[in-house]
Amino acid sequence: MSSIELSVNGKSVRTTVDPRESIGAFVRDELNLTATHLACEHGVCGACTILIDGAPVRGCITFAATVDGQKVQTLEDFEDEPLMNLIRSCFSEAHGLQCGFCTPGMLLIARDMILRGAAGTSDEIRHGLSGNICRCTGYAGIVKAIQLAAERARAAGLAAQPA
Amino acid sequence: MRTQEAGVDSTPGARRSDKGVGAALQRKEDKRHLFGRGQFTCDLRFPNLHDVAFLRSPIAHGRIVRIDVPEAVRKQVILAADLKGAQAIRAVTDAPGFKAADYPLLAFDKVLFVGQPIALCIGRTRAEAEDIAQQIEVEFEELPAVVDMLAALEPSSPLLHDSWGDNLYLAREFEAGDIEQAREAATVVIEREYRLNRQAGVPMEGRAALAFWDERLDELVFYNSTQMPHQVRYALSLHLDLEERQIHVIAPDVGGGFGIKNIVYPEEIAVAAVARHLRYPLRWIEDRREHLLSSIHCRDTLYNVKAYADVNGRVLGLDVEVRVDAGAYATWPNGPNMELGMAIKNVPGPYRISAYRARGWTVATNKSPIGPYRGVARPGACFCIERTIDEIARAVGREPHKVRMENMVTPDLMPYRSVTSMLYDNGDYPQSVEKAVDLLDLPAVRERQARGEPDGRLIGIGFASYTEQTAHGCGEWITRGVPIIPGYESATARLLSDGSLHLLVGIQSHGQGLETTLAQVAHQELGIDFDRISVRHGDSSLCPFGMGTFASRSMVMSGGAVAKACRILKGRIQAVAAQMLQCAPNEVEVRNDRAFGPNGDVSLREVGQVAYVRQEGLPRDGSPTLDVNATYSPAIDTGVFCYSTHGVVVAVDPDTGYVEILDYAVVEDCGTIVNPLIVDGQIVGGVAQGIGNALYEEIPYDEHGQPLATTLADYLLPGSTEVPEIKIAHMCTPAEHTEYGMKGMGEGGAISPPAAIANAVRDALAGLGAELCETPITPRRVLQAIHIAENRNGVSGGES
Repeated sequence: MSSIELSVNGKSVRTTVDPRESIGAFVRDELNLTATHLACEHGVCGACTILIDGAPVRGCITFAATVDGQKVQTLEDFEDEPLMNLIRSCFSEAHGLQCGFCTPGMLLIARDMILRGAAGTSDEIRHGLSGNICRCTGYAGIVKAIQLAAERARAAGLAAQPA
Repeated sequence: MRTQEAGVDSTPGARRSDKGVGAALQRKEDKRHLFGRGQFTCDLRFPNLHDVAFLRSPIAHGRIVRIDVPEAVRKQVILAADLKGAQAIRAVTDAPGFKAADYPLLAFDKVLFVGQPIALCIGRTRAEAEDIAQQIEVEFEELPAVVDMLAALEPSSPLLHDSWGDNLYLAREFEAGDIEQAREAATVVIEREYRLNRQAGVPMEGRAALAFWDERLDELVFYNSTQMPHQVRYALSLHLDLEERQIHVIAPDVGGGFGIKNIVYPEEIAVAAVARHLRYPLRWIEDRREHLLSSIHCRDTLYNVKAYADVNGRVLGLDVEVRVDAGAYATWPNGPNMELGMAIKNVPGPYRISAYRARGWTVATNKSPIGPYRGVARPGACFCIERTIDEIARAVGREPHKVRMENMVTPDLMPYRSVTSMLYDNGDYPQSVEKAVDLLDLPAVRERQARGEPDGRLIGIGFASYTEQTAHGCGEWITRGVPIIPGYESATARLLSDGSLHLLVGIQSHGQGLETTLAQVAHQELGIDFDRISVRHGDSSLCPFGMGTFASRSMVMSGGAVAKACRILKGRIQAVAAQMLQCAPNEVEVRNDRAFGPNGDVSLREVGQVAYVRQEGLPRDGSPTLDVNATYSPAIDTGVFCYSTHGVVVAVDPDTGYVEILDYAVVEDCGTIVNPLIVDGQIVGGVAQGIGNALYEEIPYDEHGQPLATTLADYLLPGSTEVPEIKIAHMCTPAEHTEYGMKGMGEGGAISPPAAIANAVRDALAGLGAELCETPITPRRVLQAIHIAENRNGVSGGES
């Protein structure tokens, strides 16, 4: 077992983990943060996307033991964030979700793209999304939602201008 | 382009509203998912929950000689002999000549495919359960694997099921009209072999089951990621020694299904069989490797067609052979026979074809069983006829879309009885082609083609049409020989004492948005505030019995049941309100959460109060409560036909074989649309899956029966850069035999893409004389097709 101390959604967590346990499984099973979904568990589909020190990573192929001392954020950390709420409303407006299983990962990637000013054209958004698989929507609603959210976030001063 | 006109004033007094049938409402289900608070089976938390991992067969075909389980873990390992009171799966269909075979919950004498479960292992975590599985040793006597479906039919082939005497589940024949006469009259004969290779369904959430025994209720609680919770309860009662009253199936949030979860699997029954004897909850959450190995596979069909046509490209007759590689076992409930039956039925497509002969065989091989993935046999049938129509057009030197339109059933012939006896109800099929041609601007594409691309790529345009039977009733299902006839749906409409509404439905929604669209239907009928309506589904004890979501049936069937229940409920509301308003019931109008009489009005809350808690205000002959149950079947059994034409422009790189989609258009007619946002979402989602079928998704097997795509690194799914923007145009011909004129449409988007894309690639490569007759159209296959054409024609040769 490995001892780790990390911050998860602003709360300090000190624990021991099995060296083979992923951070995605850790937040789900140990902390009951079930927004993070595990769908392929080999780093392809992006459903498990979380933020480590502010950057999106694959929760399923990142060992919890390697996150020692770092700051982990899951979708649950953004319950009241104005930008994430704006993105949420755009996902609903543009029908950017059907079954909802990939949605938490999509939201975190969308927020990252918008903050980086990397959500301008639909082409740019499609490239930014290419590490997240959705099996229901065919992506059109997701792309449109992110485009809408980026425009509104810029107008509201919540996001960077396009690079 | 949307031409949707919902003619919906179905009852006197009902008013068009911005939240009823036809409204593009945002979905009720969105909020929980957008906050990550969805409750998928894997998200459920119970004290002392244990996880299951299955030990699976590493070989395709063999006898189990010995299974060694270390004593230290023996109690955590369940073998076939340990399963008490559980039956093997036996899917027996009424199809004549169908051979059945037991599909054991856990293999004990033979294994018939890589991935077949042998032992159920229980751990405190999935990792621990997998560790236990790894400690089990199985000795096999390996048998030669039956991998190729054509070789499987040779008399010398090894057998999967010894008692059968061959590897044939069933054979079918169909003949109508005079095929010999068509052959003699033909000036053009097209002969082709088409193959749709084996793939998987891959919903984002895999299969999942969580079971425990509820001591208080003396029942098995079974959470299941399924499209059909009530059928699961029925299945569990057949396979376990429990009565249905003791089985409570709950489908919580379900992360996509696409047909894959329209099966009751051996793993799921095994989990239920074990958990009922335990004092703690047991769950199995399928991982992606298990999914690609052992969830049903699909497609894997071979078509050999001879088409006879006249000098203008008018099709005179079709002679088709169909072979389906169905894998090792028949799954519950329908086995593998739907593929073949539907393939034979659907090959003639939206066309006037008078002579048709079809013969088909469903073959057993040492692979995962196949089953009904979105579109079922229709993507293959569409591929067969639509590729053939294009080849006929080329042979007579005409634009394929013109030949397509001229062969189609025209509106004046509707309703039209097809050569395979399907009753196409209404619509304008040729117009869908015309609109698709316009959306892609065919003349501009032809010009661009003629100019040539600066990068040397080749441009092609292709079309494919289909007509899809949806929401078919009892009679149609009987002809298919299925053991369960899903000819109806049910709904309970319950106005509560505060005037809010519960809809309890037998259907199951897992992305289709039925929590929204069924509320729209209730709002349409009762005028109750959309936000004061809750739709409850996916619970076999809470909701009335229903069949589930598949076969493009849910909106028509369940929407119909909700409309019917709400109308009866409205009559009850009118009766109570009439007493309160001192008027006749037929003078009461219900709208805006109120009941209006000639001399005043009352709120539905006041009506609810009387019906539930102040029954002294009821009419003398009235009964308390406002609770109505209704079942619904469409007015015809033969289904209502949603039809569509897809068009696509591709660029093919002749050096790399890479195909890029430049433009994609869908013209479709699903009758009256309940929620345009959701309908368009279903279309685009279906097209994306069809693009996967056309270009990317495949599970090849090697000669030993080992599957070669068991991760998402080697099983490619279309991503956001592979699916283009889709242009959509709606036509709207309301169905005459359903509520509001609705037709089903959920599967349709996935039917045409393989054919349309193959036709576009064919068009792009026409100058090289190469064509693609197989999916997925991978770069390797494109290069191979070009290579074959070059060898055949001499390097400079070709056709135009």
